[in-house]
Amino acid sequence: MSAHQHPHEEQDFLFKYVFSQDHKMISKQFLITGFIMGFIGLSMSTLFRLQLGFPGESFWIIDFLLGSWAENGVMLPDKYLALVTMHGTIMVFFLLTAGLSGTFSNLLIPLQIGARDMASGFLNMLSYWFFFVSSVIMLISLGVEGGAASAGWTIYPPLSALPQAIPGSGLGMTLWLVAMAIFIASSLLGSLNYIVTILNLRTKGMTMTRLPLTIWSFLITAIVGVISFPVLLAAALLLVFDRSFGTSFYLSDIYIGGQVLEHAGGSPILFEHLFWFLGHPEVYIVLLPALGITSEIVSTMSRKPIFGYRAMITSMLAIGFLSAIVWGHHMFVTGMNPFLGAVFTFTTLLIAIPSAVKVFNYITTLWKGNIKFSPAMLFSVGLVSTFISGGLTGLILGDSTLDINVHDTYFVVGHFHIVMGLSGIFGMIAGVYHWFPKIFGRMLNNNLGNVHFWITIVSAYGIFFPMHFLGLAGVPRRYYTNSEFPLFDNLFDINTLITWFAILAFFGQLIFFFNFVYSALRGPKAPQNPWKGNSLEWTTGVKHIHGNWPGEIPTVYRWPYDYSKLNDNGDYVTGEDFIPQTVPLADGEKDGGEH
Amino acid sequence: MTTISLDNLDNIKYKTEIRQKTAKPLLWIGLMSIVMFFAGLTSALIVSKSNSIWIKLEVPSMFFVSTILILFSSLTYQLSLSFTKNNQLKFATITTILTFVLGISFTVTQFYAWQQLYHSGVFWAGEQSNPSGSYFYALTALHLLHLFAGLISLLVVVTKSILKKYSPTTILGIQLSLTYWHFLTALWVYLFFFLKFIA
Repeated sequence: MSAHQHPHEEQDFLFKYVFSQDHKMISKQFLITGFIMGFIGLSMSTLFRLQLGFPGESFWIIDFLLGSWAENGVMLPDKYLALVTMHGTIMVFFLLTAGLSGTFSNLLIPLQIGARDMASGFLNMLSYWFFFVSSVIMLISLGVEGGAASAGWTIYPPLSALPQAIPGSGLGMTLWLVAMAIFIASSLLGSLNYIVTILNLRTKGMTMTRLPLTIWSFLITAIVGVISFPVLLAAALLLVFDRSFGTSFYLSDIYIGGQVLEHAGGSPILFEHLFWFLGHPEVYIVLLPALGITSEIVSTMSRKPIFGYRAMITSMLAIGFLSAIVWGHHMFVTGMNPFLGAVFTFTTLLIAIPSAVKVFNYITTLWKGNIKFSPAMLFSVGLVSTFISGGLTGLILGDSTLDINVHDTYFVVGHFHIVMGLSGIFGMIAGVYHWFPKIFGRMLNNNLGNVHFWITIVSAYGIFFPMHFLGLAGVPRRYYTNSEFPLFDNLFDINTLITWFAILAFFGQLIFFFNFVYSALRGPKAPQNPWKGNSLEWTTGVKHIHGNWPGEIPTVYRWPYDYSKLNDNGDYVTGEDFIPQTVPLADGEKDGGEH
Repeated sequence: MTTISLDNLDNIKYKTEIRQKTAKPLLWIGLMSIVMFFAGLTSALIVSKSNSIWIKLEVPSMFFVSTILILFSSLTYQLSLSFTKNNQLKFATITTILTFVLGISFTVTQFYAWQQLYHSGVFWAGEQSNPSGSYFYALTALHLLHLFAGLISLLVVVTKSILKKYSPTTILGIQLSLTYWHFLTALWVYLFFFLKFIA
């Protein structure tokens, strides 16, 4: 073949690795950027856990890393708030939204539905670069005068609306808003592409009931994103107007430093409504892809068809729908009419039904399966565990009468970190272990993966489980130190214990990062289908080509969960315990997705 | 032969087919997100209305003119598509230019309307402002921002029309721009009635 017949192989470095429009390269870009941001967010939490576990004690690492944000090795109180705010923002948006969806939607949508690429490679590239610019601006905000935004990741006004309110309300807050506006644009561009690609570019035979559950989860996530992120953008814009132009959408009757401000007629509660209209669906934007990834891994590694395929889809649709009508449960203590509170309690508790269906289906898929405990499977089972334990405390927080007692305490911190943080990150890490051979063409080290899992699950529960007891005892969240209140003196050891587990968790992740980088460069070469999976991505070559399949795109004849299928004689139909989607149905054979 | 797909990818026919298949759905879902953006803003206004110092404002008369202009522009743009489909390309170009002129006129009337608001003591921000007035400015200005994108797309269609790039079968670009323009018209009509009767 002459050179001009290989236009894509002749691409120079800039367009192959930097401004790539190939979904597989964009997926890698999202993954690596997301992990860098995640590592920064993780480090921040370890540092402020040092302060919470050992208040007032001097640490050289705090002095070394925080510089002017610390004095004699002790973190300054206002910078503690900045670190908590940035940790939340980075973890929720940059790691678990863009990092998770950006990586796996980009990698798997074209590969699993049988498409050459996304609907628009150009918009897809823009989506990544908007995310990158947003990440850079968010990190730059750490270094500006006054420090980064400090009003919490929920940036409630008036702290976020008045530049003179606290040190982090100045330029740091402005940059936070600029970064988030760009981030929302990135997220919307990505979501548009995901939805249209899934609906329009499926290969022949790939009906909606033959789609892997990963794809269903990415589709519903993208729809939820398209519906809720614009509302956050609207909220953020009104906040910018209040901050920079002197309007009064969120401000009223306020004075600062003895001086009366001219704002009148606005309400900070309005911001909460708008914020949580995105904020709650955001929980499912994080969770749904993780649940989809888990479905795929649990089925493949149990060598069993997923139990209740259609029920899984229905429950994800129900979760997606309900997520948009429950936001008020974050606002039970804002003076909300108790009747309205009861309505939000009702809609919130309804989410327990589809969630329970999903958990039931995971467990029944595992039941009597020929389970292969790969690191991906361990993290998937870990997700099922955190989804249950975090979900149960959700019942308490979703009920207005119970929630009021533990509002703004460590109970809430424990709950959302387990149900959203851990489930999200476990799903993401499971996905990385499972599809690493597809992303980098090499295998991760299994032993290091196992060590990583056990350190992570033990330390994660060690951190967040005791927080429920702190919360029940009334320890408030977001405080710089809890050692000043005699009331909490007998709980102090729990704080120290949590910090030790946080340090352990941090070092556990270093093992993963080492395994990730080393294996990407030097790991053993991956076979084409290492887990003996059925879905289409395993029919593509280990070496990436632009366009995914040489020649025709394969046709699909069955759902992706035909594992351990036996014929009338009790033997495997194909001689192996899996039947790829590209194998035609035999005479009289029923397609699993159709019933 | 591992290069077939690579060649296919660069194949203009393949790319055109993908564009034909996906461009409209991409636009529609994009429009859905804009709908949610304005749904968020207008529901914010409804929440803010319950405040005791909320003032009921009259819609400035220029907004009526804006409404008529944008409705006409949708009509002329629709005509332009029909002309293109019937291969009456000269008329198509004229109606597209007319649409652009109407779009610019709409923009001008918006500025006049803001001036009317300002002179009647309704301010965007500051000591004498009230959220009810701020919403008037914010909603209309954010609509106008979206309209600028529509004007840019119109400018592209005008240029391509003059350069005779369209034919009865090559109309995707016009259809996309037209759908967006109709959407802007519908959005304006919604905002107009919302400001008149709800705000």
